[in-house]
Amino acid sequence: MSRAWRIGGPTGVLLSLLALWALVTGLGWVDPLVLPSPVAVFGVFWNQPWLMATNAGITATEAIIGLILGNACGLLLAIIFVSSASGRRAVLPLAMAAQAVPIVAVTPALIIGFGDGMEPKILVATFLVFFPMLVNGMRGLRSADAEVGELMHSLDASAWQRLWMVRLPAALPFIFTALKFSACSSFVAAIVAEWVAANKGLGYLIVFAGSQYRSDEVWAAVLIGTLSSMILVGLVVLLERRVMPWANDPTEGLT
Amino acid sequence: MSAALANQPPLRARADGISIRDVQMVYRRGVQTTTALAGCNLEIPAGSWVSLIGASGCGKSTLLRILSDIVQPTSGQALLGGLTPTEARAERRFALVSQHAVMLPWRKVLANVELGLEVARVPKAERRRRAEEAIEMVGLRGFERAYPSELSGGMRQRAAIARALTLKPAYLLMDEPFGALDELLRDRLNFELLRILEETKATLLLVTHSISEAIILSDKVVVMSPRPGRITQEIDIDFGHNRSPAIRDDPRFGRLESELRHALGHSMGDEHH
Repeated sequence: MSRAWRIGGPTGVLLSLLALWALVTGLGWVDPLVLPSPVAVFGVFWNQPWLMATNAGITATEAIIGLILGNACGLLLAIIFVSSASGRRAVLPLAMAAQAVPIVAVTPALIIGFGDGMEPKILVATFLVFFPMLVNGMRGLRSADAEVGELMHSLDASAWQRLWMVRLPAALPFIFTALKFSACSSFVAAIVAEWVAANKGLGYLIVFAGSQYRSDEVWAAVLIGTLSSMILVGLVVLLERRVMPWANDPTEGLT
Repeated sequence: MSAALANQPPLRARADGISIRDVQMVYRRGVQTTTALAGCNLEIPAGSWVSLIGASGCGKSTLLRILSDIVQPTSGQALLGGLTPTEARAERRFALVSQHAVMLPWRKVLANVELGLEVARVPKAERRRRAEEAIEMVGLRGFERAYPSELSGGMRQRAAIARALTLKPAYLLMDEPFGALDELLRDRLNFELLRILEETKATLLLVTHSISEAIILSDKVVVMSPRPGRITQEIDIDFGHNRSPAIRDDPRFGRLESELRHALGHSMGDEHH
């Protein structure tokens, strides 16, 4: 595939979608309350750039902190679980049960406990991204061949050396799969948590503007939320390429 | 190992080669027992080259895995230079090279070759020097910065041998190291390995399927047979060291080949493989 097509293709599709959007709204086929014209939506960015930027910044902060915390906890627990069978037996059932908790439903309780600031949103995002990293991390840490294990054994490597030299590098593709997944879901988690109770953030903006039928602001918030989480995924992909130069094409497993 | 055996210093102090005494390996799965090795005895003098050859299931790999401390024998004793495999491993006296040139794909060739030294906490500069020396020895100069995925099978095996050499092992344990390579390449690497062995004075224990490889690389070929795995014959190869590819044209080479083929056929009984 040529470089021109790789950039031109998606750009073309995007422009066509924008044109379709302008056409559909311009001809009055859709109620502007449901979907306002692109001009109206982009007008929001023009007229109230600070409103959009600050709220997006709040949500992004919650999402990124949640992303880091949740993945750090998930990976740490994965390391403990693959290193210690007794630790795994004691804690893994609990971790599985925690995954079954409908965390969004618990959000009101979190807000009672932590107030309507950033903490409960970070907690929800942390909770949501934690489990995929735990599962992927455990698979990844065990993914090295048995023969590599025998090689390290014959070299008399310590448990730490095995973790550092073999298990963690072998787990990297799995870790990045989890990271790419959670880069999106941490945004969703932060926005949903903001719906419940917040006075800033994209979730708050969507609920507030929606209650006043300002659908241009709702869509502007959706757009900037999408854009932010795409940027975050893009950063993860860039990081993956830097960290794993031996893997040929990391974008292949984007999802 | 029984306490009585462990308390026999003369036995342990005697040889600096490889010594296998009454080694038995029995696997129990439920009520079924499989004898992988039945009372094997073998003495390999220091600096000599020995091949284990035999049908699948004859226990030749098991013997190698016992010596490299991957599995423990059910009974009997295996010693490398008077040390048990566990002690020898801790002192990094032997190096293991397996059939599938095991490489860490995220490390470049140089870092893969340095792996053993890194595990042994050898300082960086020393590590680099010894790795480059080993890479030179196996003829991989110029590929230090390549990833293993960019190498051919033969080059990866050279890298694996280089990694084994960095630790200057007294004992080189090789499990069909060239088994995955084509005939021509295998032949070339056989003679390169000979040159390396002359240079390093290492003791070689090689597991192989190939009769000609066994002759080229051995002072003694040990023929094993399955069910139960045991040593059936030891055939001396008296070509001495400093061998050249010309030994294959020596009439003795052909005679040894047929002798070994008969020994192997005999050891397999009436089974066809």
